[in-house]
Parts: sequence; structure tokens; C-alpha cells
Amino acid sequence: MKDLKHLYYFEKLLEDANNELVRTSQAQGKKCVATACENVPEPLLNLPGTFSVRLRAPRTGSIEMATYYTTSFLCEYTRALLERAMEGGFNFTDCLIVPDGCSMLNRCAENMELLRTMPKDHFFHEYMEIPMKADDNGLALYKVQCQNHILNPLHEKFGIDISDAAIRRAVTQHNRVCDLIRQIGEYRKEEYPRITGYEFHIITMVTYAAPKDLLIEKLEETLEELKTREPDAKKPYRARVVLVGSEVDDVDVVRLIEDCGAYVCADRFCYGSFPGRDPIGLTDDEDALTQICRQYMYRGQCPRYMNQDKIQERRRYVDRLALEYRADGIIYQQVKFCDPWAYERMVGTQVLREDYHYPVLSIDRPYTTGNSGQLRTRVQAFMESVELKKLQGGVK
Amino acid sequence: MKYYGGCDSGSTYTKCVILDETGKMAADVTLRSRINSVLSAQEALDKAVEQVPDLAGAKDLAYLVGTGYGRNKVPFADENISEISCHAMGVHVADPSVRAIIDIGGQDVKGICVDTDGTVLNFAMNDRCAAGTGRFFEAMARAFEMELPEFSKLSLQAKNVIPITSQCTVFAESEVISLVGEGKPMEEIAAGIELSVAKRCFVMSKKAGATDRITLTGGCAKNDGLKDAIEKVLKLKVIDLPIDPQLMGALGAAEYARQKGSAQ
Repeated sequence: MKDLKHLYYFEKLLEDANNELVRTSQAQGKKCVATACENVPEPLLNLPGTFSVRLRAPRTGSIEMATYYTTSFLCEYTRALLERAMEGGFNFTDCLIVPDGCSMLNRCAENMELLRTMPKDHFFHEYMEIPMKADDNGLALYKVQCQNHILNPLHEKFGIDISDAAIRRAVTQHNRVCDLIRQIGEYRKEEYPRITGYEFHIITMVTYAAPKDLLIEKLEETLEELKTREPDAKKPYRARVVLVGSEVDDVDVVRLIEDCGAYVCADRFCYGSFPGRDPIGLTDDEDALTQICRQYMYRGQCPRYMNQDKIQERRRYVDRLALEYRADGIIYQQVKFCDPWAYERMVGTQVLREDYHYPVLSIDRPYTTGNSGQLRTRVQAFMESVELKKLQGGVK
Repeated sequence: MKYYGGCDSGSTYTKCVILDETGKMAADVTLRSRINSVLSAQEALDKAVEQVPDLAGAKDLAYLVGTGYGRNKVPFADENISEISCHAMGVHVADPSVRAIIDIGGQDVKGICVDTDGTVLNFAMNDRCAAGTGRFFEAMARAFEMELPEFSKLSLQAKNVIPITSQCTVFAESEVISLVGEGKPMEEIAAGIELSVAKRCFVMSKKAGATDRITLTGGCAKNDGLKDAIEKVLKLKVIDLPIDPQLMGALGAAEYARQKGSAQ
């Protein structure tokens, strides 16, 4: 296939958290709100005068310093973030808002605060509590937390407009990005897809890592380009997979999987488009904050939610994605030592195999995958067995 | 007559098998891998081709499949297939009754469950460390100042087993040196080493779902002491293969080459 016009530009943006578009936005006087979890509602961080950056630590090397302050049992994602913060990689940010999505993330942020890794005088840290059950009590909690730990601090420290009208404007912009990502992602349903899973992953990740208003034009151009892009005549994959699980912000993960003959047709992981790029529907019958919190809480696929409805829904959600995107198998992955996903991966793997009858590859992986030979062997062997099962008529 | 090749570019040994169109083994080669896997594969292919008078070079093979960690670097290969699939197929060719494999290679340990047609049903694999692998045994034999064949027989003489607490190759080596320094019987330390690896093999085979009809493949399958320890922890008799177990990856690759080449 012909190269996408903006793909190289998007890849360059992902090489550094303080990328070109972040610098442009800050030069325009906007404040950069850093976060590190999908449970923090994004539109509330992208009000007029602010933009959000979901923290990553691309090209991570040693995480020795962070391991000293935490332990080797903390997940590598949180240690890589702390290491990068200590190296000065997040000096450009104006504040950090983290949820207690997991205790490891909290510990990472607490160490950043204690070590004063972000040097700006006005810099502040906020810690949010996220509900563990999706119900009315959970919604009330979520709303209060968003008000007290996102909206009020942004207004008090930076004078940001946090009115209902301002939130609705932020949702409109958020939805435009989601709509573009959804339309681009639809092409993954094709038998001969005109976009690779890797390309889609890059495009989706950029929308988390760069100011949305500066991206929309390039996303629109990419969508237009895709409408007439000719797919390869020869099918470039052996089988289609849904990639499920914890944080995947390393560009090499999806590339490695696709190099082994898979096509990543759907992405249900932190930093993926499901459900992170679901548009938010707003009515005039209720305030915007309540509606945003409700939708984030009920659509969330994070294993932090412990009620049975949510637990069962997480497997049904993967099944629906697999059916809709015609997947032949599932790859369930987690970053090493990620607590919530470790349990979810084990049980989810078993349920999807036994009850839903999918071939499932279950892996825990380092935060930075690089060119791991053993991971490559596992994925390739899985693809070979899925391909054979497919030829024999498929499992499902 | 058409010939089909399989080249297993392993981390410590490179193996090559050539089959004729009836599936009969026409050549096999095993040689120590060099730092450059391309050169190792080239040399193994050249030596294998020399054993078949009808072939002038690797280019004359009707189909060639690469496998092993250097599988995508095998010269002239038409395709590469993971060593997990190839070991399953190789064992199926050697003994179709086998249902599970413990493959102990130079840098990893795998448990593989095999379907009745030689395809993979399920597998499990160790993480990125040398614990319980061929590298581990090489380090242990070095600590004993022995060659591997001598070391592998030593544990069979042990009356007791001295447990080795560390699975890490580096720490285990220093633990072994301490035990030797304390004057503990060498054969009992060796038995402890074999047992620690056998336990790791037990875990991999169980994770893969193995229950019965298990065999060993890879270079370490020739380690009698290890085989004995595995039989003890698994409480069953390991099946001996009629063909060199170290060749199973290359044999499976050659069989895949034969099937794919014939289908073309």
C-alpha cells in the first residue's frame, strides 16, 4: 500500500512526550494537563485554555532509579513514567491528575510529587478516587471527584472556565476526534484492509498524546486519503486478532504482532480506541458533568470495576468486538506486574477459551517490547495454529 | 526426485534436515551456531546438500523452511515457521503417538501439546531468562569443570539429592561453587541441578496441558540425568524418539517444506 501522508509525522510526534504540537499549544498560552489513565474523563482536561497529554515514556532504557524509589514489583509502566519524570521528560507539563485506578499509579505520582520532578512553580498534583462499582453511588462519587480534583483546581490555579457551556464545547471537540478515529477504524473490517493495525494504533495514540485541536485537520486529511487508498492485492495477514488488555503505548507491540502474520483488527486496551474513542452523547436535560461521568463509568472496561455485571460485560465486549471485526483469535496481554490486568487476563483468557471458544494467546510482557525474540516466537506460533484452525473451518 | 529442506537456526546449535519427496530423510547436519546466524545456516545447508548427490546447492531444494530463533535469516528459505509448530510436526513425523513435548533448547524451555495431525494444540514458554535451558547446563558443567555428556551422567550415580534453591543461571552457578567448596558430593549436587530443571519442565508441560505420551526434544533431551529427573517429577515414562531429538525442529520444518512444496 502507498504510505499514508501523515504517518511519519504522527510517528515523530510519538517519539517524545513534549512533542511539536504540545510546544505549539503551550506557546499559544494553553496549560498542559498530564494524566495517565483512561478513567480520567478527557473532555474535562481539554477545556478552553487547557489540553491533555496522556503520559508515556517512549524509548525507555533503564528504569533503575525509579525501581529504587518504588520496588521491582511495581508494573513497568509506572516505573518507566517515574524514571522519565526524574530524567526531566515531563518538565513541560503544568499539572498532573491521576486516579487511583491502581495503587501503583498512585505510588508513581506520589514519588513524582515528593521528588519534585516537575519544576514549574505553579505545578500541582491531584489524586482522584474512581468508583469500583458502576451504580448510582459510584456516579455520585465520580462526579464529586471530577469536580474537586479536576474542575475546581483548574479554575482556581489557572482561571479556566469550567462552566457547563465550556464543558459542552470540549465534548464537541472530543467527539469530532472520536468520530474521525471511528471512521478510520471502520476500514479494519474489510477483508483486504486499507489500513494496518499498526497505522491505526499510531493514529489513535497521537490523539492521546497531542492537543486535539491541532490534530483534527491532519486526521481529516488521513480519512480522506483512506477513502481512495488501494489495499494490497495479496492478503497481508494469516489471521485477524483482537488485542486486549492493559497499557499498550509502545509502537513496537502492534508492529511485532503484525510482523508475525496477524492483523490487529480491533484494539481493546488502554490507549486503544475501544472504548477510549467512543463519542460522548449529551442531552440538555442534565448537566454535562453528570452525563460524562455516567458514560465513562458504564462504558469503562477497566478491571478496576469489580461488580459482576461489569466483569461479565468485559468478556461480552471482547466477544462483540471479535464478531464485529471478524477476528479469528484473541491476544490477551498485560504489562508485567500490572495487578488489575494480571487477574483479569488469567480469568478472561480462560473464559474466552472455554465459554466463547476463541483461540487465545495470553502474555505478560515488558513495558518496552523492542524486538523480543521470545515474544515473536509465541505470537508466530499462535498465528500458525490459528491459521490452521481457520483452514479447518474455524473454532467458533 | 525433489528434495525439501528444513533449517533450524538455534541459539547454540544449527540443524538441517533434507527430506525426499516420499518423506524419507536424505541428510541431516548438526553444528555449533556461530555469532552470525546467516553463516551458520549457510554452512549447515551446504553440509546437508553435500550428503545428497542429486543436489548441487541449497538453491536446488524444491522448498526450504527456516525455523528457530534465526528463522528469518536462513538463506534461500521460502518461508519461516516458528520452532513451536516445527517441533510439533517433527515429533509427529518421528512418532505420531506422542501428544506432548518438552523442548529444552539453548535459551528457552517450552511445553507443547500436539494434535493428531501434528499441529499445535497449546503451548507454554519460559520468560526471557536462561533458567532451566541449555545455557544453564553449559554454565553448570563449566562450574564442574566437565563436558556436558559427562555431567549429564553424573547425577545418575547420586544416592541423595542436594536441592539447588536458585533457578537463575548466575546465582545457581555461585551456589554450586559454594556447595562444591563445602565438599558436598558432586553427583548429589548434579542431581539437584537436574531436579531444578525438571521442575521447570514440569511447570511448562502442565501449563501447556500435557497429561500423557510426553517426549523430550532439543539438545538437552540427550541428557540422561535430566530425563530421569523429569520422569520422576512427572511420574511417567518419557517416550524415546526413533530419531535424534535435537533434529525435531529441522525435521518438522522439512516436513512443512515437503507439504507446502508438494501442494504448489
